[in-house]
Amino acid sequence: MASLRASPFPRRALASYFQSVRLQPTPLNTATLLPRIQPTRSPRTCSSASIRPYHSTLHPRLPEHEYTNSQTAILTAALHHIPAHGFTLEALTLGARDAGFLDVSVQLLPRAEFDLILFWLASRRGILRSRVEEAALFTKRAAGSGRDPASLSVEEKTKILIAERLRMNTEIKAHWQDALAQMSLLGNIPISLSELHALSNDILSLAGDSSVDGSWYTRRMAVSAIYASAEVVMTRDPTPDLSETIAFVDRRFEDKLVLKEKFEGVGQCVSFWGNTAVGVGRSWGMKI
Amino acid sequence: MSSRSAWRALHYSAKRRAFQPTTPYRCFSCTRRAHDPKSDHERMTHFGFTNVPESEKESRVGAVFSSVASSYDTMNDLMSLGIHRIWKDHFVRSLNPGCPVANRDVDGKTKGWNILDIAGGTGDIAFRMLDHATNINHDLETRVTISDINADMLAEGQKRSIETPYYNTSRLSFVEANAESMPHIPDASVDLYTVVFGIRNFTDKQAALNEAFRVLKPGGVFACMEFSKVDNPLFDAVYKRWNFSAIPLIGQVVAGDRDSYQYLVESIERFPSQEEFRGMIQKAGFMIPGRGYENLTGGIAAIHKGIKPVIKS
Repeated sequence: MASLRASPFPRRALASYFQSVRLQPTPLNTATLLPRIQPTRSPRTCSSASIRPYHSTLHPRLPEHEYTNSQTAILTAALHHIPAHGFTLEALTLGARDAGFLDVSVQLLPRAEFDLILFWLASRRGILRSRVEEAALFTKRAAGSGRDPASLSVEEKTKILIAERLRMNTEIKAHWQDALAQMSLLGNIPISLSELHALSNDILSLAGDSSVDGSWYTRRMAVSAIYASAEVVMTRDPTPDLSETIAFVDRRFEDKLVLKEKFEGVGQCVSFWGNTAVGVGRSWGMKI
Repeated sequence: MSSRSAWRALHYSAKRRAFQPTTPYRCFSCTRRAHDPKSDHERMTHFGFTNVPESEKESRVGAVFSSVASSYDTMNDLMSLGIHRIWKDHFVRSLNPGCPVANRDVDGKTKGWNILDIAGGTGDIAFRMLDHATNINHDLETRVTISDINADMLAEGQKRSIETPYYNTSRLSFVEANAESMPHIPDASVDLYTVVFGIRNFTDKQAALNEAFRVLKPGGVFACMEFSKVDNPLFDAVYKRWNFSAIPLIGQVVAGDRDSYQYLVESIERFPSQEEFRGMIQKAGFMIPGRGYENLTGGIAAIHKGIKPVIKS
């Protein structure tokens, strides 16, 4: 329960520190560790100053988005207009009206349509988490295929989560290309990428991934790449239950496995020949 | 030789300036000083780099704008190298005035926006907003009230409005008023309050912001474009050089009025920075979207926005 995972900067010292922490008995560790590693928390504002460089299950989660109450009210109301109006200023304006604001109040959102897209992404991410934590998604899926939920591997859980997240896009499938276009505008790319990272990070931590080495990065990159390409496929998927997209995701996971094997094979080969060369050199009396 | 004599003449006349007594003039018949002594209690405010009593600033600014009204547009083009048009277009486009067809009720009727353009005497912003509402959003109901303290600027705007399709319609009206107190405008009646390159001339900016808060409907937007502080020091040096050397000179040559343009650049210099002005907007009670301001051309101008909160019952 009290497992701590070093996240974006797994320096060796930090990682081994956290690993040693994980071995300690739980109750003691919660009591003694909290005051030491909890960063000073101020009431959360709109700044990004409170980004933690590590992840810990001991901390309350950061909120999914950083919008103020009024902004959230407008955006939440605008979400209902997306299926009809797409990710447009019209949807936002109608949302503002529903929330009791004026047409002109959409000025509250300086990025306009892009704010709506970001809010959609962040809110879907929150729903995905609540489905796992409150609605027992894995138990349902495992029961569907007649398996014990505890026997699901991280890989299988990741696949279930990606499929679940993709299905949330079903009703706005027709508008998703517009959103992708918006996200790929030069100024919007950094925020879009960080949102994609947040999603892949959530998917992997919900799936129970606990890697603290270099694979922390590769796994997140792989999930991001698979999810992002699946979204593009989804926009052209004519099937109502996205079965083609799900099949695409399955194929990409197979590719990922193949790639992983290839990389590991190449790594083994290189290290074998390196070691051999060093050995041969030493046998010839070289000071290596 | 002739140049030397000219120099001498100049030099000579400079020496023979009218004598100014160091002590104020005193009447023979009484011991009271002849000129009205300025009361020490009166609050002072900026007029460019000089300090003047608050009661005097209004008339002095009035004099400046009365004198520049006729050449206002040419001078703006020359001083900003035409960039002010891009800023104004961007300002209006980002506000997107007017109710688009897609958002109207089933009967397609719209009440339009009620826009109040403060210090908009020449109608620059007002005509752009009406054009945007009409041509982009096909909204023929949105109306703009141009309010200005200066009758000469308003007259210039009225003259120009003859050329526009809004002349003599209910969509455009002119009011001569002081933005610090507008009793003729009821509470919570305005959707959008704009003040473009005007607020730096106000005597009491906070009072004007409070008045804006009063007249806006809940959810209404206060939008302000004003000269601001350049953040890049190198660019700032170039910009300052342009401001203090070129602009008064252009003013002298084109408009024949150096002092007014000297005042303009000094008032630009005196205007609070982006962060300070954002603080003033917040102090009036507005919500700030995101960072609260948008820099234009490296911070020469900045667009500030504030939204009046909606109180849920």
